[in-house]
Amino acid sequence: MNYLKSHITLILALISILLSIFLFRVFNQILELYEKSIVNNYSIVVVSSSKIESLNMKEISSIEEIDIQKQIKSLQKKYKNIDFNKITLPYFYKLKLNSLPTPKELNRLKEKLKQEPYIKRVLTHSNTQTKIYNLLMLLKIITKTFMVITGVLGFLLIIKQLEVWKLSHSERMYIMELFGAPFWLKGAALFKIAFVDSFIAIISTMGIIYLITNSALYQNIISELNINFQIDYFKEFMILFVVSFTISLISSILVVMSKK
Amino acid sequence: MALVKANNLKIAYNSQYIIKDSNFSIEEGDFVFLTGISGSGKTSLIKSFYGEVRPEGELYIGPFNMAKIKRGSLAKLRKRLGIVFQDYKLIPEWNILRNVMLPLFIMGYDKNESEKKAMELLKKVKLSHKLDKFPAELSGGEQQRAAIARAIIHKPAMILADEPISGLDEYSASLVMDLFIMANKMGITVLIASHSLPQEFNVQYKHLHIEKGRVYELS
Repeated sequence: MNYLKSHITLILALISILLSIFLFRVFNQILELYEKSIVNNYSIVVVSSSKIESLNMKEISSIEEIDIQKQIKSLQKKYKNIDFNKITLPYFYKLKLNSLPTPKELNRLKEKLKQEPYIKRVLTHSNTQTKIYNLLMLLKIITKTFMVITGVLGFLLIIKQLEVWKLSHSERMYIMELFGAPFWLKGAALFKIAFVDSFIAIISTMGIIYLITNSALYQNIISELNINFQIDYFKEFMILFVVSFTISLISSILVVMSKK
Repeated sequence: MALVKANNLKIAYNSQYIIKDSNFSIEEGDFVFLTGISGSGKTSLIKSFYGEVRPEGELYIGPFNMAKIKRGSLAKLRKRLGIVFQDYKLIPEWNILRNVMLPLFIMGYDKNESEKKAMELLKKVKLSHKLDKFPAELSGGEQQRAAIARAIIHKPAMILADEPISGLDEYSASLVMDLFIMANKMGITVLIASHSLPQEFNVQYKHLHIEKGRVYELS
């Protein structure tokens, strides 16, 4: 019970920091993939009086001509008295973009396209795009804020723990110093605690991560988003390992270095 | 050969010199009493011997000038000293055996060897039955004996004891003094700070006395 009492603060603080780092990274990756999938599925339609081979605009990644023969055939069936072959129809193109534009960027691009003399019409579906963009930005802000708050709370807990450590270890370290103990020996007990707590925190965090990423809710969200997202557990473990040990080691060094 | 040599030694406390222009020396193997009234600067002088207080002028402890000593050298010097405090300064969360073993841990001794040495010494200070007790479970006299065992286990060049028998009953005080004599017979220089000289003392000693900020060597 005493062991748990003296260790729980650091372990909880580390778990909250590690989880916030993990979730921050995962959300960022998911949002990036989701953004890419939106960009892939999104296109601007332009109607042109002449053929377009290329457009010298950095926002545009590709131009694809829309085949309208199918539509013409169905129209021909409907309006038999009109000969569509005799009508000069414009060219229709799908423009794919490099990244998800903001509503402002989208308007700017629309104006730019309209300035080309052969482009007669530009369809951006801006209402739907703006909604998606705003929703994505809101998600990004919420997740970042949440992670920052969790991280800060974790650090506050660690500062509190440093004060407790200072109180409970300073006398022993002072006495050891009077007998000429080197730095590492003075802090040996603290370094041991930091090591054990870091290890417990990493294992607990990996357990929580495993539970989250294998939950039905998480799997549903990923499949709904229609993205191919896989977690590299070993990579995540290594990142959390380095972060956790660095935080614990720095905390214990700070306590050993601080004077009584 | 002089183990301690002070030339124009000055020690400041709260921006005032409590020790000034003092010259004295202590030879290897000496048994020294440092006397003076309360607040005369005995504790500050002892603290300057182990680098807790930085003096001015010159104070040589072996090859180290305490006025200019660096962190690394200070740790080296402290390994060669044995310090006994009025409030014992035993590590509360360690048992007596482990407390006594502390200087050997610091010097890198093997655990079994340290344990053997500590047990032998605790037998000599009549605490072999309290090895696994914690400081709070011992009387003042017992804690002081454990503190002396800790101070001599690594055979230091010098023991510095600040008021080691104040607050102890007569029996405990005489046991403690016997331990200092035993340490001195082992060739360890002993410096004891005290209000006054002991009434009966059968060992030849040197007397340093602090009066009005100056340290005098009395015969």
